[in-house]
Amino acid sequence: MFFDYHVIIENLPYLLQGLVVTFKLAGLALAGGIFFGMLVGLGRISQRNLIYYPVSAFVNFLRNIPLIIIIFWVYFILPIMVGRNIDPFLAAALAFIIFESTYFGEIFRAGYQSISKDMVGSAYATGLTYWQVARYVTIPIAFRRMLPSLITQSIITFQDTSLAFVIGLHEFVTRANVVNNLEYRSIEIYSFVAVVFLILCYIGSRISLHFETKYRKANVL
Amino acid sequence: MNEVMIDIRNLSKWFGDFKVLSNVNETVKKGQTIVLCGPSGSGKSTLLRCVNGLEPFQEGEVVVDGTSLTDPQTNLNQLRQKIGMVFQRFELYPHMTAKQNITLAPRKVRNMSQKAADNKASELLKRIGIPEKADDYPANLSGGQQQRVAIARALAMEPKAMLFDEPTSALDPEMIKEVLDVMIALAKEGMTMVCVTHEMGFAREVADEIIFMDEGEIVERGTYEDFFKNPQSERAKDFLEHIL
Amino acid sequence: MKKFSPGFAGAEPNSKEACMAFNYNFDWSILWSDPYGMWIIQGIGYTLLIGACAWVIAFLLGVLIGTMRVSNLRILRFLATLYTEVFRNIPFLVQLFFWYYAVPMLFGPLTPIINKISNLNLYVAIVGLGLYTASRVAEHVRAGYASISRDQYQAALSTGMSQVQMYRYIIIPYCLRLIIPPITTEFLTIFKNTSIAMVISVSETTFMTYQIDAETFHGFEATTAAMVIYFFIGMSVVKLMDLVEAKFRIPGLSGRGG
Repeated sequence: MFFDYHVIIENLPYLLQGLVVTFKLAGLALAGGIFFGMLVGLGRISQRNLIYYPVSAFVNFLRNIPLIIIIFWVYFILPIMVGRNIDPFLAAALAFIIFESTYFGEIFRAGYQSISKDMVGSAYATGLTYWQVARYVTIPIAFRRMLPSLITQSIITFQDTSLAFVIGLHEFVTRANVVNNLEYRSIEIYSFVAVVFLILCYIGSRISLHFETKYRKANVL
Repeated sequence: MNEVMIDIRNLSKWFGDFKVLSNVNETVKKGQTIVLCGPSGSGKSTLLRCVNGLEPFQEGEVVVDGTSLTDPQTNLNQLRQKIGMVFQRFELYPHMTAKQNITLAPRKVRNMSQKAADNKASELLKRIGIPEKADDYPANLSGGQQQRVAIARALAMEPKAMLFDEPTSALDPEMIKEVLDVMIALAKEGMTMVCVTHEMGFAREVADEIIFMDEGEIVERGTYEDFFKNPQSERAKDFLEHIL
Repeated sequence: MKKFSPGFAGAEPNSKEACMAFNYNFDWSILWSDPYGMWIIQGIGYTLLIGACAWVIAFLLGVLIGTMRVSNLRILRFLATLYTEVFRNIPFLVQLFFWYYAVPMLFGPLTPIINKISNLNLYVAIVGLGLYTASRVAEHVRAGYASISRDQYQAALSTGMSQVQMYRYIIIPYCLRLIIPPITTEFLTIFKNTSIAMVISVSETTFMTYQIDAETFHGFEATTAAMVIYFFIGMSVVKLMDLVEAKFRIPGLSGRGG
């Protein structure tokens, strides 16, 4: 079996540009997913039924739906709502933000709930106000606890961006397909794609493990 | 020595339908040490948390150093500066050193300078016997050391009264003494204290009054001798049989 | 470079949709009219088929690999860790492409024969999904073993059981009950991931949704229907696992081990 790595080298610029799009899409998805995830998490621990039930329904419904369907749905509904053609990148980004916010929301919910009532109580007992307790105690501790999960979910989000393929977005995997259709060196091309993901995601998972060990030792976790 | 520090009048509290505190009345004078005991679920911890406003209550009144908790004008955060509290599981902030745990409130609530706060922390750490642990994180401290730091953290705000919720229950036996020693010293220096505890040695040494609670009510109260040698109620007798 | 087209039957969504965007006529009747209604039913059938078959592979293989991860033999641990890291860090979509396009080419002269196997895409989808999900199941199994206290292991061994007996009669049954919640999630996820098989033209629900859009340009209605379908599949999976959990429940044993 002759492994022709030239096919990869020749197409490298084209493929790497696709990787840039992947990173951009993942970046947007993460920023939006984390931001809305914080809100979703808060909604899930809310005492007010008017907030808790709709948010919970939203989360529970979406967690049953495949990401591809959400991508399609956003892709179809956006032009209808806005009245004109939509850039696939935007549709994909929006779909990802909606989808990932449910997962990040669960991470934030677990983080908020992990702070024991007495920990908060002991901070209040020294006379700190609500915002001081949030800023110096609750948020720093919750953040350290959530960091490993946040990193892991970010890696998953990064992998999920490959699904933007289905609406023709020119990201990394899509471009690999294009090259494959031209050159038919499937083994080399898909091995290359696989290895790139393997390396990036493996590094990410080790970073997450580093923080998990660090905080577990410090008894924060 | 006769001023009233904590005054609890007709306090009742429900968790939903469940009545957790029933018509509690108690007066704690300045400098007194009160020990609260009783079976688990009797409401002792809840009562403690009502005194510094960590738990709301539906009926009755609590007045601390002249300020009523139910007065809408009362700023609870300011009130809590006057009462310190120590918890069963220490609850030190795990992401801060011992010194930082102690200086957080003085710096952020009283706007003390870093230097002044650090000095205060050093002084308190010396007082509780572990000045060398100032820069250690809670994870590197033993249970007894953590609890002592928790006491120092509460003392940093120069409270007028201290509440203790089973401070030694989560400690290994060999560490109980070091914490009780700090508490006994505190009581002897004249701090007003309300302690939920089963450490009867502590009670014998410094308690001015023992209060026995069961099912949300104060069933019996008296001095150490009265309570242990001559319990009046059936429930108190029952309880004493089980812990002795 | 010419503009990319997904490559399977159907028009480019962009150009045709552009016209529809300005005056979209909702037409929900396409969902039950011939032949689209049947397409949807067929799609559901394939979704369930792929999910169920892949799950069998995933569960059995996952328990095996998860157990290998805690083995005393270094070589077994290494192989299991390698498997897990490879299959978890590469997106499933890429794995699918690899199995479907790249692997047949390894067979040299046999390649054209392999590519002509009918339903090849279906088999690839099932096996690929099974292998991918197995790596995730393995992780949950490993975590399950870790959460069982060391004392439990030692108590079993101290009665004279061998390692194998201990695992077979005590540890594995205990572990499996502990990990029912995350396993339920994986079972749910496997049905969601069947949708990715659409990229190799497997006739499951999502592919049919896309086909309906290609023919009728009513992708929105079709996609909404698909959402409802997946939601019901998800609910059914959770209900099913609730029954499983109830059947195997041990009184006093909560989901938290150790």
